[in-house]
Amino acid sequence: MEGLGQVELPILSCQNLCKSFPGNQKQEKLVLANINLAVPKGSFVTILGQSGGGKSTLLKLLGGFLPPSSGRVFFDGQPLTQITPKIGMVFQDHNLYPWMTVEQNIGFGFKIRGDKPGTYQHLVHEILDTVGLSQSRKLYPHQLSGGMRQRVAIARSVVVKPEVLLLDEPFSALDVQLRRRLQDFLLTLWKEMHITMVLVTHNVEEAILLGQKLIVVGNQPGQIIEEVVISEPQYGDRYHPDFLQLQRHLESLLDSNLIDPVQAKPLPISNGKAIS
Amino acid sequence: MSITVNQWQKWQKSSLSLICGICSCLLLVAVWEWVGSDPINPITQVLPPPSKFVPVLFESDFKIGLGSQSSTIYQSVFVTLLRVFAGMTIAFVAAIFCGMLISLSEWSELFILPILGLIAPIAPIAWVPLALVVFGISNLTAIFIVFMGVFFTLTIATVAEIKRIPENLLITARNLAGSRFNIWRMVVMPAVLPSVFTLLRLNFIAAWMAVLAAEMTGLRDGLGAVVMTGRNLFNSNLILLGICIIGITGFAVDRLLLLIQRRFFWWRV
Ligand SMILES: Nc1ncnc2c1ncn2[C@@H]1O[C@H](COP(=O)(O)OP(=O)(O)OP(=O)(O)O)[C@@H](O)[C@H]1O
Ligand SMILES: [Mg+2]
Repeated sequence: MEGLGQVELPILSCQNLCKSFPGNQKQEKLVLANINLAVPKGSFVTILGQSGGGKSTLLKLLGGFLPPSSGRVFFDGQPLTQITPKIGMVFQDHNLYPWMTVEQNIGFGFKIRGDKPGTYQHLVHEILDTVGLSQSRKLYPHQLSGGMRQRVAIARSVVVKPEVLLLDEPFSALDVQLRRRLQDFLLTLWKEMHITMVLVTHNVEEAILLGQKLIVVGNQPGQIIEEVVISEPQYGDRYHPDFLQLQRHLESLLDSNLIDPVQAKPLPISNGKAIS
Repeated sequence: MSITVNQWQKWQKSSLSLICGICSCLLLVAVWEWVGSDPINPITQVLPPPSKFVPVLFESDFKIGLGSQSSTIYQSVFVTLLRVFAGMTIAFVAAIFCGMLISLSEWSELFILPILGLIAPIAPIAWVPLALVVFGISNLTAIFIVFMGVFFTLTIATVAEIKRIPENLLITARNLAGSRFNIWRMVVMPAVLPSVFTLLRLNFIAAWMAVLAAEMTGLRDGLGAVVMTGRNLFNSNLILLGICIIGITGFAVDRLLLLIQRRFFWWRV
């Protein structure tokens, strides 16, 4: 994988980031504590953590969608205080506009800023080809399958060429086959478009497969408990022994971090293969 | 275009319900005709069978009213429909607009919504006397009554629907660098239109009744006036004809609104 050799300034980073929400009994509930991380320009960073661990919250903070309780987020060297079109977001549920066709949804980023249709139509058609939805461009979201919807949502964010794309478990509702196809698709997109990507997931395999840098967020309060840099090519192969070893290591790490007694049982091995 | 099995089944189902509907209506007419055909039956005097009152419709010089104020029954239907549609259209557009304005600030919601909530339950018929005083005997009166019957409910609904829009749809639009005005125009408005239109359709019956009541009491033309003229002339044929036309027209308009909804406002947010 390219882009890791040179030392570059991080395009997105945060310092001592904390977030608490008003909890019950007048107590603040600390969701994220002291998060420090850096996202190098052009890289693919994955954030791994359990459900309820504060992954979505972290992603929203990184995009300026939520204000932090303390600490700061930097984008391109400047403190980030509000939403910017330079940081795109793909939400957990696809968020398509039900009254627009696939084509209109993808072109919406241009339309809403007041561009004339003639000036962006070719870009929309190009990305429709890339995501393989040219045939379906006249369909409405309710006529699409889950995987198609996610592709439309990703295309809508990518077509306006943000510098950073944040993805919040974009494939979590899909079956394994489709998930793998879309993971490959996302990697291709990342290589072609040179967009920095930060993807949140609770799936260990996905985190290793996609990330150049993998950040594990532990539970209650959310803290970074491990950072892994993945540069060797064997981590692109799901069945390589190194891949499986790292996967097992991360799974046991997540297991040992579980606090909720209801969930405190061993996780099944995620790809169904016994690890020798 | 090829017809899929699914479409075929849908078509079968809808044509079945159409045929059944027509059959039951025909049955009603047949029973009515049979009961009413006995000349010594006293009911026939107040409830003439269809074969007696329908021909009234085709009498060439059929007029209601006297002199310059007389009009044909077709004109009456037209006038009534015009009033209902004008009132409903104005109320719909105004409600969407006002609902969006009210939603702009929490304070206006806090102050204005209680007033709307107070006015909304007033039956539209209750506005008739006031409207007659203010607007006199004119189309404006009828339109005003329809408007009052629909507008407040729809405005409250618009405000509620705006609150129900999934937050992420709005955040996505802001993230894509939409200006505030464009977000209102391209996201908020389309998101609330379908449910507010559904409510408009449900409120049509209330508006329809209000106009008829106004036409019976104050205005001198329209479908309601046809029925009242029948009463004044002791002409039960005319009364029943008016009632039947009111029923059929109301049904047709409801279907039309349903068609508009399916064609233009079909999505759910
Ligand atoms: N707006 C909010 N108000 C109060 N508490 C919140 C809010 N948003 C999130 N939380 C709390 O923060 C914690 C983390 O939530 P978050 O959505 O970030 O988890 P997550 O890791 O994304 O989970 P999942 O994998 O299920 O999406 C949860 O315990 C949740 O109750
Ligand atoms: Mg989440």
